Amino acid sequence: MALCSIRNLSKTYDSFLLSDVSFELNAGRITGFIGRNGAGKTTTIRSILGLVHPDHGEIFYFGLPFEENEREIKQRVGFSTGTVNYYPKKKIKNIAAVTKTFYQNWDENAYREYLELFSLDENKMPCELSEGMKVKFNLLLALSHRAEILILDEPTSGLDPFSREELLELFIELKNRGAAVLFSTHITSDIEKCADDIMYIRNGRIAADCSKEEFVKNYCKGGETLEESILRMERDGKI
Amino acid sequence: MTKLLKKEMKLTASPLSYLFIVFGLMAFLPGYPILIGSFFVCLGSFQSFQCAREANDITYTALLPVAKSDIVRAKYMFCAVIELCYFILTSVPVLIRMTVLSNVSVYRHNALMNANLVYLGFVLLILGLFNRIFIGGFFKTAYKFAKPFVIFIIAAFLTTGIGESLFHIPAFSALNAFGFAHIGLQVSVLMTGAAAFVLLTVISVRQAVKNFERIDL
Repeated sequence: MALCSIRNLSKTYDSFLLSDVSFELNAGRITGFIGRNGAGKTTTIRSILGLVHPDHGEIFYFGLPFEENEREIKQRVGFSTGTVNYYPKKKIKNIAAVTKTFYQNWDENAYREYLELFSLDENKMPCELSEGMKVKFNLLLALSHRAEILILDEPTSGLDPFSREELLELFIELKNRGAAVLFSTHITSDIEKCADDIMYIRNGRIAADCSKEEFVKNYCKGGETLEESILRMERDGKI
Repeated sequence: MTKLLKKEMKLTASPLSYLFIVFGLMAFLPGYPILIGSFFVCLGSFQSFQCAREANDITYTALLPVAKSDIVRAKYMFCAVIELCYFILTSVPVLIRMTVLSNVSVYRHNALMNANLVYLGFVLLILGLFNRIFIGGFFKTAYKFAKPFVIFIIAAFLTTGIGESLFHIPAFSALNAFGFAHIGLQVSVLMTGAAAFVLLTVISVRQAVKNFERIDL
């Protein structure tokens, strides 16, 4: 059974339509969610987190409908929304101290490990952090409650190459522990390095959703790299 | 709910929310429109909403394993705690002025509203208006707060104006009673204020929960 199953998700805005988005996230798999800016990645992620109300569609986690089981589900899912600056004038340790009270499975050892891994000083405030360090701080909170599913909106944005490498290695480690990871990005090399599955969104529609091997086999023509094939598909408007 | 209330206090609250509770002691001031103190405590709570927006507090909280309705209720509860502290604090000078200071000349020859139970009734009405107009208005979008606050300012100053002018009409002069004079009237205005506070707050919470469930963050 899929850990997360999304069926026919649709959302209409004045100038944008997210249409019929369906996908699954499975244990021990990393899904790279790729698409250009404005393609619908963030709307999809915000919809499956309950921040945006889809017009149509069904969202299931662990076989349970999200709407009726939101609190229980969020105990088992980790979220991170890129460089969003939460409580910029509060110390990291104070934000973490409040956050952990909400999670039954908060793992203080994991929190300390990630704090060290990300070289975060918990006496600093988010406003004192670089954009990359803010991403790490958001990840720190998302990773410290033993989440079985991680949903991360552009987690590698603003990170230096070394930190990106470390983060992608961390995704692989989490995958090996049985977690399902979904991360959105517009950096194809991140996907090449660690994703098992690729979900490509274009103009609010899922244009491709398959394993990385199948994607390369079906869509990378004439020895194209992943980046070249996606650029071509964006340019031509077809896959 | 307790965890969310603690979160409000530790992460979201502006220090001004706590500091402005002290304006409750303005009820000691003679020759001053003492109902203005209620506006200041609401201004302090408004500052917390401003801090919350700047800190992306609503999105952060919506991602926690909590019910959306509890996010709304926790905001109301935080404001209600501040309002209760203010009410208790401002009741102290009222009781002192009604008892040991009831015959002090500077209070007896005060052209403005006297600090009595009628004043406390008006305080509760203004606090209820804040909950209904401002907090309820904020949760229509969970983002825009200027318009509801301006509407609240108008309502609060109108209420203050009514409180300050009503007792100048001979038929209502008993509203400005000193000490325990006209105590039945004083208590009934206080009870009416308390009922208005509860009613306005309960209606506002229900509407805000419905609105917040509908909006996209």
